[in-house]
Amino acid sequence: MHKPGARQAVLTYILIGAILIVFMVPIYLILASSLKPSVDMFSRPPSLFFKPTLQHYIDLFTLRPFVSNIANSLIVTLGSTAFSVSVGSLGAFALSRIRHRRIDDAAFWILSMRMFPPIAVVVPYYIIFKAIGLLDTPLALIIVYSTANIPLTVWLMKGFFDEVPEALEEAAQVDGYGIVEIFWRISLPLAAPGLAVCAVFCFIFSWNEFLFALMLTGSSAQTVTVAVMSFWSSDAVQWGQIMAGSFIILIPGVIFVLTCQKWLVKGLTLGSVK
Amino acid sequence: MGYVTRRNRTIATAFLLPTVAVLFLTTIYPMLYALYLSFRNYDLAKPFIPRIFVGLANYSEVLTSDTFLHSLLITFKLMAMTLVVQFVLGVAMALLVTQRLPGMAVIRTLLLIPMMISPVIVGLVWLFLYFPELGYLNYFLGMVGIDPIPWITSTQWSLTAIAIADIWQWTPFVMMGTAAALQSLSPEPYEAARIDGNSSVDVFLYVTLPQLRPVLISLLFLRAIDAFKIYDIIYVLTKGGPGDATETIALYIYRQSFTFWRMGVGAAASFVSLIVISVLITLFFKSMQKSAAAR
Repeated sequence: MHKPGARQAVLTYILIGAILIVFMVPIYLILASSLKPSVDMFSRPPSLFFKPTLQHYIDLFTLRPFVSNIANSLIVTLGSTAFSVSVGSLGAFALSRIRHRRIDDAAFWILSMRMFPPIAVVVPYYIIFKAIGLLDTPLALIIVYSTANIPLTVWLMKGFFDEVPEALEEAAQVDGYGIVEIFWRISLPLAAPGLAVCAVFCFIFSWNEFLFALMLTGSSAQTVTVAVMSFWSSDAVQWGQIMAGSFIILIPGVIFVLTCQKWLVKGLTLGSVK
Repeated sequence: MGYVTRRNRTIATAFLLPTVAVLFLTTIYPMLYALYLSFRNYDLAKPFIPRIFVGLANYSEVLTSDTFLHSLLITFKLMAMTLVVQFVLGVAMALLVTQRLPGMAVIRTLLLIPMMISPVIVGLVWLFLYFPELGYLNYFLGMVGIDPIPWITSTQWSLTAIAIADIWQWTPFVMMGTAAALQSLSPEPYEAARIDGNSSVDVFLYVTLPQLRPVLISLLFLRAIDAFKIYDIIYVLTKGGPGDATETIALYIYRQSFTFWRMGVGAAASFVSLIVISVLITLFFKSMQKSAAAR
């Protein structure tokens, strides 16, 4: 791209400034409202300078079982991430190394498992988990989230393994390494950045998920997203607590964007954009 | 052949086994179970009544019911509304944020945040903005002289309200993908076009856009697949209402299964939607292979 002239630069900044305001206002509102006393919540004009209070956060953690919601979310999220990354990177290695003309089809088939609408399988999950007594347990969500996380891991890790030079692996084989050793001691360490990227994507997806958590958990395995939504359905809407909870939930995603945005493109477009 | 000899290939296949086994148990099996349910009369509220085989009755009910066809229409209407705005706005934003100006990298990063926010939270903050009487959106609109709009309480506006929330969350995705593609374009055609004295609009239409086409098509299918599944934001904002004004396929399946407990009908509708989405997924893969081949 060429370097814009002064007039074009001013115009660009004006337009982008307006866009930035539109896209940032809702995020600012979450933070501001979580710190606003309830009386100021909808004050006209919106009070830009209010006396911030941590009351909503205190209420959230003392009046609600939000600590156990966070614990549930973390168990589910970390459990599914660990499981998906382990299973998925094995599968990805195989797909990357097997030479067969149908291997791309297999990779697409695995990826397609991630793209089906969750609502279409939630009924069978509900019935099956009810029958085997897993309804309202973190294990149920770990299993369900892995159905989305494993395909993504396989797909992304395949790209990372493809970039590990096979010559290194061949050399290791000459030295008497078996394929398991080659995977574990050569290829996996070289594809380690990919593991981190996959883990982060699995984490964010599981942490943010709502539909399955809503349908498959009751009070004991309730995750943060379902909990925050439940503050709404009580008699009086607790906007302060909703916003405080929302702010806590959005923290991991924001950290992800700020620290490793270069991987966002690859992960979210499933590699269709370089 | 590479270093993977026949013996090793057996092991390599075994590497694939856990993935395939897990996906079979957790995805294929539930889908087959849904297929089984879709041929049965299954009322979850009355679990002791035998699940009688009803043949294609659930499918014929789904495919001839006005509610289902209406939900299909709503789904595609929402898809059209969100995709058009997301792509026009997203491409425009990409053109802005890829200008070589100070501060653009930071702005680009900030604009990516909405995508990574849980859709429930997106729904909740827009509910806060739309909230009848109190919400700030009508207040802001009032400042520029627009009368209050009954965002989520009227059948006329509720679908637009949902579309706006989805547009807010996913326009950055189109921007991000397009910006990445723009930055990898080769500069020569631009210089040539500029030397020839073409206007920037012409350069965009005849030089940039054709080069962006494969990426835009891939992004379009990805967004369409997601738009087809949209659930969380609707659940938070309108739960499919008022009436059935925002009842997409996902909401229809939810209502049949968990409000009326008619699992068989819900499962049949699920299968119809699986067929539609399979078409979209296949088209996406085709577009991906095509653009990979073009590289």
